[in-house]
Amino acid sequence: MNELELKKLWQTTNDRLDENLILSKRNSEDIVGMKVYGIIGSMKPIKFFALLIGVFWVGIGGTALSSIYLNSFSEANKIFLFSASFQVGLTAIALLVYLYQLITIYHVDITDPVIRTQEKLLNLKMSTLWVARILLLQLPVWTTFWWNETMLNEWGVLQWTISLFFTISFTAIAIWLFFNIKYENRNKKWFQLIFSGKEWTPLMTSMKLLEQVEDYKG
Amino acid sequence: MDKQAQRHLFEGIIDQHKGILFKVARAYCPDEEDRQDLIQEMMIQIWRSIPKYNSQYKISTWLYRISLNVAISFYRKNSIREKRHTELTEQLAETLEDKSENEKQLNLLEQFISELKEIDKALMILYLEDKRYAEIAKILGMSVSNVGTKIGRIKDQIKLRFSQLKIIRQ
Repeated sequence: MNELELKKLWQTTNDRLDENLILSKRNSEDIVGMKVYGIIGSMKPIKFFALLIGVFWVGIGGTALSSIYLNSFSEANKIFLFSASFQVGLTAIALLVYLYQLITIYHVDITDPVIRTQEKLLNLKMSTLWVARILLLQLPVWTTFWWNETMLNEWGVLQWTISLFFTISFTAIAIWLFFNIKYENRNKKWFQLIFSGKEWTPLMTSMKLLEQVEDYKG
Repeated sequence: MDKQAQRHLFEGIIDQHKGILFKVARAYCPDEEDRQDLIQEMMIQIWRSIPKYNSQYKISTWLYRISLNVAISFYRKNSIREKRHTELTEQLAETLEDKSENEKQLNLLEQFISELKEIDKALMILYLEDKRYAEIAKILGMSVSNVGTKIGRIKDQIKLRFSQLKIIRQ
């Protein structure tokens, strides 16, 4: 089939479209009458809910921790306090990255050339990896929250060995993941295993698209 | 721009150029039900973008940018579609038997286009719509020479698919 035949064949879709063009007047009237939603209005409820929980968690956690630092630092369990501060701090940073993502996506100009727009959107989607990296850094503190000063005096070698084994392992895993969760490793098996769930599909699809965009820019 | 003028322009654009939206939507979304959502999303984006319309661009260039950007983003968010896509391919093979030769060829062309990578697909639609390379370059944001190279490669790919099918049929 030559070029002319291909184009001629494609033009016949016009006949088919005529049959299918049931673009109802109501459809466009709905859009014309539609309110222009802001960022919050255009978010999926589940994401909005997750954002609210995050803000609530950081708000409550931040307030409680500040109060301990200011009023009862000397009596507080320091290990718990530092673990909790680290956890709340990292969640706050992850929230900020997420908010930045939301605001920037909302301001991307959809009328810009396709490759430029897609590159912007895909790079923003890639920043989801930053959220994952930051949140995974919290791993070690989940093993130290419950430590207290009594343990330091009373625990034997075996108890400490088990406890430190988990803390050191989790720290090593968290640091390794922090440095290795990146676009360049997208084709590695461990990467695909971590990001294999349904909720990660848009991210993995974005990576494939980004490869295409890079190919077109090259 | 006041609301009335925006409304007038929007309805005019949709009425005159709805074919662009439908063709892009067909290429990116084989499933009828999802396609309605995609077209709706394209229309919403057109409505929102009207106040920013820059008259230095042709309306069709502007519309292709919006519809292709929306379609590619839609694909990214709804990759469940890929599975359905495979099912549809199987259905297509079964239903082709009852159609005229031209319809069969058209179905195959659409099928081959839908198998292309997302940006290759955009390029092929524009090429088949007989757009000049310079306009394609403006819509996609790439150099004219790159447009020529890529189109050549995709055309070969599609021709190969047609010839492979011919061999199978014989």
